[in-house]
Amino acid sequence: MSERAQQLLEIADDELLLGWRNSEWTGIAPFLEEDVAFSSIAQNEIGHARALYELAGRDLGKTADELAFDRAPEEYRSAALVEPRFVPDWARTIARHYLYETADQIRIEALKASDDAEVAGLAAKIDREEVYHRMHAEMWLERLVGEPRVREALVELWPKALGVLGDDLRPLLRERLAALDLPEVEPVERGKHSGELAELWEKMTVVRRSVPGATW
Amino acid sequence: MSAQEQAFLEYVQGGGQVETSDWMPAEYRARLIKFIEMHGNSELMGVLPEREWILRAPTLQRKLALTAKVQDEVGHAQLIYRVVEDLGKPRAACLQDLIDGKSKFHNVFHYPTKSWGDVGVIAWLVDAAAIISQKALLKCSYAPYARIMKKICWEESFHILHGRDVILTMMNGTDEQRTLVQEALDRWWGPLMQFHGNPIAQGDDPSFSWRIKSQSNDEARQQFLDGYVPQIWELGLTVPDPKLRKDEEADRWEYSEPDWAELKHVVTGNGPRTKGRLQLRRTSRAETDWVRRALLAEAA
Repeated sequence: MSERAQQLLEIADDELLLGWRNSEWTGIAPFLEEDVAFSSIAQNEIGHARALYELAGRDLGKTADELAFDRAPEEYRSAALVEPRFVPDWARTIARHYLYETADQIRIEALKASDDAEVAGLAAKIDREEVYHRMHAEMWLERLVGEPRVREALVELWPKALGVLGDDLRPLLRERLAALDLPEVEPVERGKHSGELAELWEKMTVVRRSVPGATW
Repeated sequence: MSAQEQAFLEYVQGGGQVETSDWMPAEYRARLIKFIEMHGNSELMGVLPEREWILRAPTLQRKLALTAKVQDEVGHAQLIYRVVEDLGKPRAACLQDLIDGKSKFHNVFHYPTKSWGDVGVIAWLVDAAAIISQKALLKCSYAPYARIMKKICWEESFHILHGRDVILTMMNGTDEQRTLVQEALDRWWGPLMQFHGNPIAQGDDPSFSWRIKSQSNDEARQQFLDGYVPQIWELGLTVPDPKLRKDEEADRWEYSEPDWAELKHVVTGNGPRTKGRLQLRRTSRAETDWVRRALLAEAA
Protein backbone atom coordinates (compact mmCIF):
# COMPACT_ATOMS: atom_id res chain seq x y z
CA MET A 1 0.00 0.00 0.00
CA SER A 2 1.32 3.46 -0.89
CA GLU A 3 2.09 5.85 1.92
CA ARG A 4 -0.59 8.17 0.57
CA ALA A 5 -3.28 5.46 0.55
CA GLN A 6 -2.32 4.44 4.06
CA GLN A 7 -2.52 7.99 5.35
CA LEU A 8 -5.90 8.56 3.70
CA LEU A 9 -7.25 5.32 5.16
CA GLU A 10 -6.15 6.30 8.66
CA ILE A 11 -8.07 9.56 8.53
CA ALA A 12 -11.04 8.00 6.75
CA ASP A 13 -11.31 5.26 9.39
CA ASP A 14 -11.18 7.85 12.18
CA GLU A 15 -13.91 9.92 10.57
CA LEU A 16 -16.03 6.86 9.79
CA LEU A 17 -15.94 5.40 13.27
CA LEU A 18 -16.37 8.69 15.08
CA GLY A 19 -19.25 9.48 12.71
CA TRP A 20 -20.81 6.16 13.61
CA ARG A 21 -20.31 6.77 17.32
CA ASN A 22 -21.67 10.33 17.17
CA SER A 23 -24.75 9.13 15.30
CA GLU A 24 -25.61 7.03 18.36
CA TRP A 25 -26.76 10.23 20.07
CA THR A 26 -29.48 10.80 17.49
CA GLY A 27 -32.73 10.80 19.42
CA ILE A 28 -31.37 10.64 22.96
CA ALA A 29 -29.07 13.64 23.47
CA PRO A 30 -29.55 15.96 26.50
CA PHE A 31 -31.38 18.51 24.32
CA LEU A 32 -33.30 18.17 21.05
CA GLU A 33 -30.90 20.79 19.68
CA GLU A 34 -27.99 18.45 20.43
CA ASP A 35 -29.70 15.52 18.73
CA VAL A 36 -29.77 17.66 15.65
CA ALA A 37 -26.22 18.99 16.10
CA PHE A 38 -24.57 15.62 16.74
CA SER A 39 -26.49 14.07 13.90
CA SER A 40 -25.25 16.82 11.60
CA ILE A 41 -21.67 16.37 12.74
CA ALA A 42 -21.97 12.61 12.24
CA GLN A 43 -23.21 13.13 8.68
CA ASN A 44 -20.33 15.47 7.90
CA GLU A 45 -17.81 13.00 9.29
CA ILE A 46 -19.22 10.14 7.28
CA GLY A 47 -19.26 12.36 4.21
CA HIS A 48 -15.56 13.12 4.81
CA ALA A 49 -14.82 9.43 5.29
CA ARG A 50 -16.52 8.69 1.98
CA ALA A 51 -14.50 11.32 0.10
CA LEU A 52 -11.25 10.07 1.66
CA TYR A 53 -12.08 6.43 0.89
CA GLU A 54 -12.88 7.38 -2.70
CA LEU A 55 -9.46 8.96 -3.11
CA ALA A 56 -7.68 6.05 -1.39
CA GLY A 57 -9.85 3.60 -3.33
CA ARG A 58 -8.56 4.91 -6.65
CA ASP A 59 -5.07 3.77 -5.64
CA LEU A 60 -6.33 0.53 -4.13
CA GLY A 61 -8.89 -0.50 -6.75
CA LYS A 62 -11.78 -0.50 -4.23
CA THR A 63 -15.00 1.45 -3.79
CA ALA A 64 -15.66 3.63 -0.74
CA ASP A 65 -18.27 1.16 0.53
CA GLU A 66 -15.88 -1.76 0.18
CA LEU A 67 -13.25 0.07 2.20
CA ALA A 68 -15.74 1.23 4.82
CA PHE A 69 -17.48 -2.09 5.40
CA ASP A 70 -15.73 -5.06 3.82
CA ARG A 71 -12.42 -5.12 5.68
CA ALA A 72 -11.94 -7.25 8.77
CA PRO A 73 -11.92 -5.26 12.06
CA GLU A 74 -8.19 -5.79 12.54
CA GLU A 75 -7.50 -4.16 9.16
CA TYR A 76 -8.93 -0.80 10.21
CA ARG A 77 -6.28 1.84 10.81
CA SER A 78 -8.35 3.91 13.25
CA ALA A 79 -7.06 5.61 16.38
CA ALA A 80 -8.05 4.24 19.80
CA LEU A 81 -9.82 7.53 20.58
CA VAL A 82 -12.65 7.05 18.11
CA GLU A 83 -13.54 3.44 18.88
CA PRO A 84 -15.28 3.31 22.29
CA ARG A 85 -19.01 3.63 22.73
CA PHE A 86 -19.74 6.54 25.09
CA VAL A 87 -23.53 6.82 24.91
CA PRO A 88 -25.07 7.78 27.39
CA ASP A 89 -21.96 9.46 28.88
CA TRP A 90 -22.06 13.10 27.75
CA ALA A 91 -18.89 14.00 29.67
CA ARG A 92 -16.71 11.53 27.76
CA THR A 93 -18.53 12.41 24.54
CA ILE A 94 -17.70 16.09 24.89
CA ALA A 95 -14.13 15.39 26.01
CA ARG A 96 -13.55 13.18 22.97
CA HIS A 97 -15.29 15.65 20.67
CA TYR A 98 -13.01 18.46 21.83
CA LEU A 99 -9.78 16.43 21.82
CA TYR A 100 -10.52 14.91 18.43
CA GLU A 101 -11.48 18.15 16.74
CA THR A 102 -8.35 19.84 18.07
CA ALA A 103 -6.11 17.00 16.86
CA ASP A 104 -7.97 16.78 13.55
CA GLN A 105 -7.45 20.47 12.93
CA ILE A 106 -3.68 20.00 13.23
CA ARG A 107 -3.79 17.04 10.88
CA ILE A 108 -5.96 18.83 8.32
CA GLU A 109 -3.69 21.90 8.39
CA ALA A 110 -0.72 19.67 7.59
CA LEU A 111 -2.62 18.01 4.74
CA LYS A 112 -3.66 21.36 3.29
CA ALA A 113 0.03 22.15 2.94
CA SER A 114 0.69 18.84 1.15
CA ASP A 115 2.52 18.77 -2.22
CA ASP A 116 -0.13 16.36 -3.44
CA ALA A 117 -2.74 18.65 -5.00
CA GLU A 118 -5.58 16.13 -4.67
CA VAL A 119 -4.92 15.56 -0.99
CA ALA A 120 -4.48 19.27 -0.29
CA GLY A 121 -7.69 20.09 -2.16
CA LEU A 122 -9.73 17.51 -0.29
CA ALA A 123 -8.28 18.65 3.04
CA ALA A 124 -9.33 22.24 2.30
CA LYS A 125 -12.84 21.08 1.47
CA ILE A 126 -13.11 19.04 4.66
CA ASP A 127 -11.75 21.90 6.74
CA ARG A 128 -14.64 24.16 5.71
CA GLU A 129 -17.05 21.92 7.61
CA GLU A 130 -14.71 21.08 10.45
CA VAL A 131 -14.66 24.75 11.47
CA TYR A 132 -18.25 24.32 12.70
CA HIS A 133 -17.44 21.13 14.57
CA ARG A 134 -14.66 22.93 16.39
CA MET A 135 -16.94 25.81 17.34
CA HIS A 136 -19.46 23.33 18.68
CA ALA A 137 -16.83 21.39 20.62
CA GLU A 138 -15.30 24.55 22.08
CA MET A 139 -18.68 25.87 23.17
CA TRP A 140 -19.47 22.66 25.01
CA LEU A 141 -16.06 22.32 26.63
CA GLU A 142 -16.23 25.88 27.85
CA ARG A 143 -19.61 25.24 29.43
CA LEU A 144 -18.67 21.99 31.15
CA VAL A 145 -14.95 22.26 31.84
CA GLY A 146 -15.66 22.97 35.51
CA GLU A 147 -17.43 19.61 35.91
CA PRO A 148 -15.10 17.09 37.56
CA ARG A 149 -16.34 14.27 35.33
CA VAL A 150 -15.40 16.22 32.21
CA ARG A 151 -11.93 16.88 33.60
CA GLU A 152 -11.55 13.17 34.40
CA ALA A 153 -12.65 12.25 30.90
CA LEU A 154 -10.09 14.64 29.36
CA VAL A 155 -7.29 13.09 31.42
CA GLU A 156 -8.45 9.56 30.64
CA LEU A 157 -8.67 10.16 26.89
CA TRP A 158 -5.53 12.25 26.54
CA PRO A 159 -3.14 9.36 25.63
CA LYS A 160 -5.58 8.21 22.97
CA ALA A 161 -5.95 11.75 21.63
CA LEU A 162 -2.18 11.98 21.14
CA GLY A 163 -2.41 8.74 19.18
CA VAL A 164 -4.61 10.40 16.56
CA LEU A 165 -1.52 12.21 15.29
CA GLY A 166 1.84 11.00 14.08
CA ASP A 167 4.97 11.63 16.14
CA ASP A 168 5.77 14.81 14.23
CA LEU A 169 2.49 16.57 14.99
CA ARG A 170 2.07 15.62 18.66
CA PRO A 171 4.05 18.57 20.05
CA LEU A 172 1.56 20.87 18.35
CA LEU A 173 -1.34 19.18 20.11
CA ARG A 174 0.42 19.46 23.48
CA GLU A 175 1.00 23.12 22.78
CA ARG A 176 -2.58 23.89 21.76
CA LEU A 177 -3.99 22.17 24.80
CA ALA A 178 -1.44 23.59 27.24
CA ALA A 179 -4.13 25.56 29.04
CA LEU A 180 -5.82 22.33 30.07
CA ASP A 181 -2.67 21.30 31.94
CA LEU A 182 -2.89 17.63 30.93
CA PRO A 183 -0.28 15.16 32.29
CA GLU A 184 2.82 13.88 30.48
CA VAL A 185 1.76 10.51 29.06
CA GLU A 186 2.72 7.86 26.54
CA PRO A 187 0.44 8.04 23.47
CA VAL A 188 -1.72 5.05 22.60
CA GLU A 189 -0.60 4.17 19.09
CA ARG A 190 -3.02 3.80 16.21
CA GLY A 191 -4.04 0.32 15.11
CA LYS A 192 -4.11 -1.25 18.58
CA HIS A 193 -7.79 -2.09 18.65
CA SER A 194 -10.06 -2.56 21.59
CA GLY A 195 -12.89 -5.10 21.63
CA GLU A 196 -15.26 -2.20 21.06
CA LEU A 197 -14.21 -1.86 17.45
CA ALA A 198 -15.09 -5.50 16.75
CA GLU A 199 -18.46 -5.00 18.43
CA LEU A 200 -19.20 -1.88 16.39
CA TRP A 201 -18.06 -3.62 13.21
CA GLU A 202 -20.43 -6.53 13.86
CA LYS A 203 -23.29 -4.10 14.10
CA MET A 204 -22.39 -1.80 11.22
CA THR A 205 -21.97 -4.69 8.80
CA VAL A 206 -24.79 -6.95 9.99
CA VAL A 207 -27.28 -6.02 7.26
CA ARG A 208 -24.61 -5.89 4.60
CA ARG A 209 -23.27 -9.35 5.51
CA SER A 210 -26.77 -10.87 5.76
CA VAL A 211 -27.05 -11.22 1.98
CA PRO A 212 -23.48 -11.37 0.66
CA GLY A 213 -22.83 -9.55 -2.57
CA ALA A 214 -26.27 -7.93 -2.63
CA THR A 215 -26.93 -4.30 -3.55
CA TRP A 216 -28.58 -2.25 -0.80
CA MET B 1 -71.39 28.86 23.86
CA SER B 2 -71.02 32.62 24.23
CA ALA B 3 -71.64 34.95 21.31
CA GLN B 4 -67.89 35.59 21.08
CA GLU B 5 -67.17 31.85 20.92
CA GLN B 6 -69.88 31.36 18.33
CA ALA B 7 -68.44 34.12 16.19
CA PHE B 8 -64.98 32.51 16.50
CA LEU B 9 -66.34 29.12 15.47
CA GLU B 10 -68.01 30.62 12.41
CA TYR B 11 -64.84 32.47 11.57
CA VAL B 12 -62.65 29.34 11.54
CA GLN B 13 -65.32 27.28 9.80
CA GLY B 14 -65.38 29.92 7.08
CA GLY B 15 -61.65 29.35 6.52
CA GLY B 16 -60.41 32.08 8.87
CA GLN B 17 -56.98 31.65 10.48
CA VAL B 18 -55.88 32.50 14.01
CA GLU B 19 -52.53 33.83 15.25
CA THR B 20 -50.93 33.21 18.66
CA SER B 21 -51.80 36.65 20.02
CA ASP B 22 -55.46 36.52 18.87
CA TRP B 23 -58.22 35.81 21.33
CA MET B 24 -59.36 32.16 21.22
CA PRO B 25 -61.85 30.07 23.20
CA ALA B 26 -60.32 28.01 26.01
CA GLU B 27 -61.62 24.82 24.44
CA TYR B 28 -59.99 25.64 21.10
CA ARG B 29 -56.66 26.30 22.84
CA ALA B 30 -56.90 23.04 24.78
CA ARG B 31 -57.78 21.05 21.65
CA LEU B 32 -54.91 22.64 19.75
CA ILE B 33 -52.44 21.84 22.50
CA LYS B 34 -53.56 18.22 22.69
CA PHE B 35 -53.56 17.74 18.92
CA ILE B 36 -50.23 19.46 18.23
CA GLU B 37 -48.52 17.96 21.26
CA MET B 38 -49.42 14.47 20.04
CA HIS B 39 -47.90 15.35 16.69
CA GLY B 40 -44.69 16.49 18.40
CA ASN B 41 -44.62 13.36 20.55
CA SER B 42 -45.05 11.24 17.44
CA GLU B 43 -42.12 12.88 15.68
CA LEU B 44 -39.95 12.34 18.73
CA MET B 45 -41.03 8.75 19.39
CA GLY B 46 -40.79 8.04 15.65
CA VAL B 47 -37.06 8.59 16.01
CA LEU B 48 -36.63 5.52 18.18
CA PRO B 49 -37.67 2.68 15.83
CA GLU B 50 -35.39 4.06 13.12
CA ARG B 51 -32.44 5.02 15.25
CA GLU B 52 -31.88 1.33 15.96
CA TRP B 53 -30.90 1.00 12.29
CA ILE B 54 -28.65 4.04 12.02
CA LEU B 55 -25.77 1.85 13.21
CA ARG B 56 -26.64 -0.95 10.80
CA ALA B 57 -27.17 0.93 7.55
CA PRO B 58 -25.53 -1.20 4.86
CA THR B 59 -23.87 1.48 2.69
CA LEU B 60 -22.44 4.94 3.28
CA GLN B 61 -25.20 6.49 1.19
CA ARG B 62 -27.94 4.76 3.20
CA LYS B 63 -26.23 5.70 6.43
CA LEU B 64 -26.22 9.36 5.41
CA ALA B 65 -29.83 9.29 4.21
CA LEU B 66 -31.17 7.52 7.27
CA THR B 67 -29.26 9.73 9.71
CA ALA B 68 -30.54 12.81 7.88
CA LYS B 69 -34.10 11.49 7.96
CA VAL B 70 -34.05 10.77 11.67
CA GLN B 71 -32.44 14.15 12.27
CA ASP B 72 -35.32 15.75 10.36
CA GLU B 73 -37.82 14.05 12.66
CA VAL B 74 -36.09 15.48 15.73
CA GLY B 75 -36.10 18.87 14.03
CA HIS B 76 -39.84 18.54 13.43
CA ALA B 77 -40.43 17.68 17.08
CA GLN B 78 -38.45 20.80 18.02
CA LEU B 79 -40.53 23.03 15.72
CA ILE B 80 -43.84 21.50 16.77
CA TYR B 81 -43.12 21.72 20.49
CA ARG B 82 -42.31 25.39 19.98
CA VAL B 83 -45.84 25.91 18.62
CA VAL B 84 -47.23 24.13 21.68
CA GLU B 85 -45.04 26.28 23.93
CA ASP B 86 -46.48 29.46 22.40
CA LEU B 87 -49.95 28.13 23.22
CA GLY B 88 -48.96 27.85 26.86
CA LYS B 89 -47.43 24.42 27.46
CA PRO B 90 -43.62 24.39 27.78
CA ARG B 91 -41.51 21.74 26.06
CA ALA B 92 -40.28 20.33 29.35
CA ALA B 93 -43.89 19.71 30.41
CA CYS B 94 -44.63 17.97 27.10
CA LEU B 95 -41.59 15.72 27.53
CA GLN B 96 -42.51 14.97 31.12
CA ASP B 97 -46.10 14.04 30.20
CA LEU B 98 -44.80 11.89 27.37
CA ILE B 99 -42.49 9.82 29.56
CA ASP B 100 -45.11 9.62 32.30
CA GLY B 101 -47.48 8.05 29.76
CA LYS B 102 -49.95 10.92 30.16
CA SER B 103 -49.96 11.95 26.50
CA LYS B 104 -50.16 9.91 23.33
CA PHE B 105 -48.22 9.30 20.15
CA HIS B 106 -49.11 7.66 16.82
CA ASN B 107 -49.82 3.95 16.72
CA VAL B 108 -47.06 3.10 14.23
CA PHE B 109 -44.32 4.11 16.65
CA HIS B 110 -45.35 1.51 19.20
CA TYR B 111 -44.12 -1.40 17.06
CA PRO B 112 -40.72 -3.06 16.72
CA THR B 113 -38.52 -2.85 13.62
CA LYS B 114 -37.20 -6.26 12.70
CA SER B 115 -35.21 -5.93 9.49
CA TRP B 116 -33.81 -3.49 6.97
CA GLY B 117 -37.06 -4.13 5.09
CA ASP B 118 -38.91 -2.36 7.91
CA VAL B 119 -36.63 0.65 7.51
CA GLY B 120 -37.71 0.94 3.88
CA VAL B 121 -41.39 0.37 4.58
CA ILE B 122 -41.40 2.95 7.37
CA ALA B 123 -39.67 5.63 5.32
CA TRP B 124 -41.84 4.95 2.30
CA LEU B 125 -45.31 4.05 3.55
CA VAL B 126 -45.48 5.32 7.14
CA ASP B 127 -44.12 8.66 5.97
CA ALA B 128 -46.55 8.58 3.03
CA ALA B 129 -49.49 8.04 5.39
CA ALA B 130 -48.17 10.82 7.62
CA ILE B 131 -47.70 13.32 4.81
CA ILE B 132 -51.35 12.88 3.81
CA SER B 133 -52.47 13.98 7.27
CA GLN B 134 -49.85 16.71 7.36
CA LYS B 135 -50.76 18.16 3.96
CA ALA B 136 -54.35 18.48 5.18
CA LEU B 137 -52.96 20.55 8.07
CA LEU B 138 -51.64 23.19 5.69
CA LYS B 139 -55.17 24.60 5.91
CA CYS B 140 -55.31 24.41 9.72
CA SER B 141 -57.20 27.27 11.36
CA TYR B 142 -54.21 27.87 13.64
CA ALA B 143 -51.84 29.71 11.33
CA PRO B 144 -48.48 29.09 13.12
CA TYR B 145 -49.08 25.34 12.92
CA ALA B 146 -50.09 25.54 9.26
CA ARG B 147 -46.90 27.50 8.49
CA ILE B 148 -44.46 24.98 9.96
CA MET B 149 -46.31 22.22 8.13
CA LYS B 150 -44.92 23.59 4.85
CA LYS B 151 -41.36 22.87 5.92
CA ILE B 152 -42.33 19.52 7.43
CA CYS B 153 -44.17 18.32 4.32
CA TRP B 154 -41.27 19.38 2.15
CA GLU B 155 -38.84 17.29 4.20
CA GLU B 156 -41.19 14.31 4.50
CA SER B 157 -41.42 14.13 0.73
CA PHE B 158 -37.67 13.40 0.66
CA HIS B 159 -38.11 10.64 3.23
CA ILE B 160 -40.65 8.97 0.97
CA LEU B 161 -38.19 9.09 -1.94
CA HIS B 162 -35.48 7.61 0.27
CA GLY B 163 -37.83 4.86 1.48
CA ARG B 164 -39.01 4.04 -1.99
CA ASP B 165 -35.42 3.81 -3.18
CA VAL B 166 -34.53 1.41 -0.34
CA ILE B 167 -37.51 -0.78 -1.27
CA LEU B 168 -36.89 -0.60 -5.01
CA THR B 169 -33.25 -1.59 -4.58
CA MET B 170 -34.21 -4.60 -2.47
CA MET B 171 -36.99 -5.64 -4.86
CA ASN B 172 -34.46 -5.55 -7.69
CA GLY B 173 -32.03 -7.60 -5.60
CA THR B 174 -32.06 -11.21 -4.45
CA ASP B 175 -34.99 -13.43 -3.40
CA GLU B 176 -33.90 -13.05 0.21
CA GLN B 177 -34.13 -9.28 -0.08
CA ARG B 178 -37.57 -9.43 -1.69
CA THR B 179 -38.72 -11.69 1.16
CA LEU B 180 -37.49 -9.13 3.70
CA VAL B 181 -39.62 -6.46 2.03
CA GLN B 182 -42.74 -8.63 1.78
CA GLU B 183 -42.43 -9.68 5.43
CA ALA B 184 -42.06 -6.05 6.45
CA LEU B 185 -45.13 -5.05 4.44
CA ASP B 186 -47.10 -7.89 6.07
CA ARG B 187 -46.08 -6.61 9.51
CA TRP B 188 -46.86 -2.96 8.80
CA TRP B 189 -50.06 -3.21 6.79
CA GLY B 190 -52.38 -3.54 9.79
CA PRO B 191 -50.90 -0.55 11.64
CA LEU B 192 -50.86 1.46 8.37
CA MET B 193 -54.58 0.86 7.84
CA GLN B 194 -55.24 1.94 11.41
CA PHE B 195 -52.98 5.00 11.15
CA HIS B 196 -55.57 7.57 10.05
CA GLY B 197 -58.00 6.53 12.78
CA ASN B 198 -61.46 5.04 12.80
CA PRO B 199 -64.10 6.65 10.63
CA ILE B 200 -65.87 9.30 12.71
CA ALA B 201 -68.59 11.48 11.22
CA GLN B 202 -67.07 14.94 10.71
CA GLY B 203 -69.82 16.52 12.80
CA ASP B 204 -68.74 14.40 15.78
CA ASP B 205 -65.07 15.23 15.46
CA PRO B 206 -64.18 18.41 17.40
CA SER B 207 -60.80 18.68 15.62
CA PHE B 208 -62.79 19.02 12.42
CA SER B 209 -65.39 21.42 13.85
CA TRP B 210 -62.63 23.80 14.96
CA ARG B 211 -60.90 23.27 11.59
CA ILE B 212 -57.74 22.07 13.22
CA LYS B 213 -57.89 19.42 10.57
CA SER B 214 -59.85 19.67 7.35
CA GLN B 215 -60.10 16.08 6.23
CA SER B 216 -61.94 13.07 7.64
CA ASN B 217 -60.06 9.98 8.74
CA ASP B 218 -61.55 7.89 5.99
CA GLU B 219 -60.77 10.44 3.29
CA ALA B 220 -57.14 10.33 4.39
CA ARG B 221 -57.09 6.52 4.24
CA GLN B 222 -58.68 6.49 0.77
CA GLN B 223 -56.08 8.96 -0.43
CA PHE B 224 -53.30 6.77 0.97
CA LEU B 225 -54.67 3.66 -0.74
CA ASP B 226 -55.16 5.53 -3.99
CA GLY B 227 -51.63 6.86 -3.99
CA TYR B 228 -49.73 3.81 -2.82
CA VAL B 229 -51.51 0.51 -3.47
CA PRO B 230 -50.90 0.71 -7.24
CA GLN B 231 -47.20 1.37 -6.55
CA ILE B 232 -47.01 -1.52 -4.09
CA TRP B 233 -48.54 -3.85 -6.66
CA GLU B 234 -46.29 -2.56 -9.40
CA LEU B 235 -43.23 -3.57 -7.39
CA GLY B 236 -44.51 -7.13 -7.25
CA LEU B 237 -45.53 -7.04 -3.58
CA THR B 238 -48.72 -8.53 -2.18
CA VAL B 239 -50.93 -6.53 0.17
CA PRO B 240 -52.03 -8.87 2.97
CA ASP B 241 -55.72 -8.12 2.63
CA PRO B 242 -57.80 -10.40 0.36
CA LYS B 243 -60.66 -7.89 0.32
CA LEU B 244 -58.60 -4.99 -0.94
CA ARG B 245 -59.88 -3.74 -4.30
CA LYS B 246 -60.86 -0.51 -5.90
CA ASP B 247 -64.53 -0.04 -6.69
CA GLU B 248 -63.97 2.05 -9.80
CA GLU B 249 -67.61 3.05 -10.10
CA ALA B 250 -67.84 4.41 -6.59
CA ASP B 251 -64.20 5.58 -6.83
CA ARG B 252 -63.51 4.05 -3.43
CA TRP B 253 -61.24 1.40 -2.05
CA GLU B 254 -62.81 -1.54 -0.29
CA TYR B 255 -60.79 -3.21 2.42
CA SER B 256 -61.12 -5.45 5.44
CA GLU B 257 -62.17 -3.53 8.52
CA PRO B 258 -58.98 -2.42 10.29
CA ASP B 259 -58.54 -3.75 13.80
CA TRP B 260 -59.83 -0.79 15.83
CA ALA B 261 -59.48 -2.68 19.10
CA GLU B 262 -55.75 -3.11 18.40
CA LEU B 263 -55.43 0.60 17.61
CA LYS B 264 -57.04 1.58 20.88
CA HIS B 265 -55.03 -0.94 22.85
CA VAL B 266 -51.75 0.23 21.28
CA VAL B 267 -52.20 4.01 21.57
CA THR B 268 -53.31 3.76 25.17
CA GLY B 269 -49.86 2.51 26.05
CA ASN B 270 -50.00 -1.22 25.39
CA GLY B 271 -48.17 -1.59 22.09
CA PRO B 272 -45.42 -4.20 21.79
CA ARG B 273 -42.69 -1.58 22.23
CA THR B 274 -44.51 1.21 24.10
CA LYS B 275 -43.05 0.50 27.49
CA GLY B 276 -39.54 -0.21 26.23
CA ARG B 277 -39.38 3.02 24.23
CA LEU B 278 -40.78 5.19 27.00
CA GLN B 279 -38.31 3.54 29.35
CA LEU B 280 -35.47 4.43 26.98
CA ARG B 281 -36.67 8.07 27.00
CA ARG B 282 -36.84 8.07 30.80
CA THR B 283 -33.42 6.48 31.21
CA SER B 284 -31.71 8.72 28.68
CA ARG B 285 -33.25 11.79 30.28
CA ALA B 286 -32.10 10.72 33.71
CA GLU B 287 -28.61 9.93 32.44
CA THR B 288 -28.15 13.38 30.95
CA ASP B 289 -29.97 15.29 33.65
CA TRP B 290 -26.65 16.53 35.08
CA VAL B 291 -25.93 18.28 31.77
CA ARG B 292 -29.16 20.28 31.88
CA ARG B 293 -28.56 21.13 35.54
CA ALA B 294 -24.98 22.25 34.84
CA LEU B 295 -26.20 24.56 32.08
CA LEU B 296 -28.95 26.01 34.22
CA ALA B 297 -26.42 26.72 36.99
CA GLU B 298 -24.13 28.39 34.47
CA ALA B 299 -26.96 30.54 33.13
CA ALA B 300 -28.03 31.61 36.64
